[in-house]
Amino acid sequence: MIGDSLLMPALQGVHLSRSFGEGETKTTVLHDVSIELFSGQITLLMGPSGSGKSTLLAILSGLLHPDGGRVMALGHDLWAMSDLERERFRLRHCGFIFQGYNLFNALTARQQLEMVMRWGEGATPRDARRRADEMLALLGLAKKAHLRPTEMSGGEKQRVAIGRALIKEPNFCFADEPTSALDWHVGQHVIELLRSAAHDRGATVLVVAHDARIIEHVDRVIHMEDGRLWQQEEREPVLHTIKQTR
Amino acid sequence: MASYSLTTLWYERQRYVPGVLAVAFSALLIALQCGLLLGLFSITSIPIDHTQADVWMGASEVSSVDLGRPIPESAQARMGVLPEIESCEPYLQGFAFWSKPNNGGSELCMVIGSRLLPNSLGKIDKLTDEQCGMLAEEGTVIIDKSDEKKLGVEVYKKAEISGQPVHVVSMTRGLPSLAGPYVLCSINTARKLLPVQKGETTTYILGRCKNRQDAPRVVEKLKATYKDVSAFTQADFSLRTQLHWLLRTKAGIALGYAAALGLLVGAVVTSQTLYAATIASLREYAVLRALGIPRWRIAGMVVSESFWIGIIGIALALPAAYGLAWAADRLMGVTVVSLPWWLQSSAAAVTLIMSLGSGLFALRSLRQIDPAMLLH
Repeated sequence: MIGDSLLMPALQGVHLSRSFGEGETKTTVLHDVSIELFSGQITLLMGPSGSGKSTLLAILSGLLHPDGGRVMALGHDLWAMSDLERERFRLRHCGFIFQGYNLFNALTARQQLEMVMRWGEGATPRDARRRADEMLALLGLAKKAHLRPTEMSGGEKQRVAIGRALIKEPNFCFADEPTSALDWHVGQHVIELLRSAAHDRGATVLVVAHDARIIEHVDRVIHMEDGRLWQQEEREPVLHTIKQTR
Repeated sequence: MASYSLTTLWYERQRYVPGVLAVAFSALLIALQCGLLLGLFSITSIPIDHTQADVWMGASEVSSVDLGRPIPESAQARMGVLPEIESCEPYLQGFAFWSKPNNGGSELCMVIGSRLLPNSLGKIDKLTDEQCGMLAEEGTVIIDKSDEKKLGVEVYKKAEISGQPVHVVSMTRGLPSLAGPYVLCSINTARKLLPVQKGETTTYILGRCKNRQDAPRVVEKLKATYKDVSAFTQADFSLRTQLHWLLRTKAGIALGYAAALGLLVGAVVTSQTLYAATIASLREYAVLRALGIPRWRIAGMVVSESFWIGIIGIALALPAAYGLAWAADRLMGVTVVSLPWWLQSSAAAVTLIMSLGSGLFALRSLRQIDPAMLLH
């Protein structure tokens, strides 16, 4: 059963296309792109600015409607769902990390995570606090739980952002340039945390970045240019030993 | 939700200060405007509020204490036979013309004639026993010190009311008037000074209940039994009198206009403060939306913030209103601003609704939340 599910892509984009603008200003950023992402694998989507990698991530994650094609996630056609169904799908299955940390200035590290548990899963304050503390401990931030973003370093803030994305234990984790604002030492740690989410928890992790140093930390690299995928590189066997499947 | 809202309000207090101050300003304006008017019109019900009667019975459809018409003094028996009544007595009140000495012109005044024993129901409580003794002599009156110049007399001077000579024997303090200066005297003197009170008539019958809580029941009995009179408890007649003046002078319109203006200013500033605060956190909210957090949760936080802004604003405004009212009263020597609990509650409720409305109006900012904006 597990083997079967691993052979099937957890997330699949089929003939995806997307343009912006109209008439003479119309720019096509995705040209008939098909992609498969697997559970337990961290995939790096690389390419120069304007290559369409963030647009592809947005479409695969249910944030941006494609002009053509479809996205199959866990057997569901993501863009055939209603807005509310897609919102619920994201709530249940998706975590996001963005380049800017986008943390609430007024809230502590613990509260940033608690908020997702309480508002997203309807957790009790007690459960939300326990889960937040567990996640912060996992991220090495146990002693920083009471700090606000202005009292934390960039790396710490990005780790809180990762915690916020992973606290729901999502099937999918989408990271857009998660290390570009960090020095490499901290960025390496961030990528390792994402890699751990894939390998230890069986999450499907898609990282969009242009930093080539990340390559050696991921399972698979997909290069993109001018809205097309042009090279895929397997760094390790696709199937990993998954300690936990959801 | 409340904890996140409060935390945000406190941590980013500089951002929210304009909203809180706008709400406080609105609440203060409403409370003081209404309190000022209430204080002013409470003067009109002084004869009710400063006497000891639990029940007032007068002519039918009496809309204000100063507009009482003559009723037979024998009506006293109607009240006296009720088992709840401990005692009852006549009370005369009506407008009359005061002629100043030495042809100094005339003024409209309000003559109040009551029994003057220490436990008399219609005796104004500002009168001392000594002053009551002075009024026993027919033709003697007492006015308030604040009306001395208006009436053009001093103590021991003589004037005329309705062509009858009166002798000012003393003065009270703290008995301001609105429509006409109060002239206090005995029932016998009042009968002479009020031309409409002919024969065995009175303006009101005042009653004291054995148990004060029976007053509403006595009123109901009188109303049910006698259609040619009206009856009120002390509190109801006081309120009725004040409302009559409020509506007759159209002061309510001015009050409503000023209060609406205050509310509008508060609503606009609060709404803009919340709108700007939400726009400033647009990217953070966008992350929550990307994570699938429902929009209503975010809307709830904005509305929750507006609720707390309202509460904090009101908490600042009411003590300030008290302080200003106290200062005004001290300055004028009489109650200028009246702030009963129901007025404070009403001002607080209206302001809170305004604040919540501002929060709802600020929700338009949430339309700008788009998770795709976070991608590069």
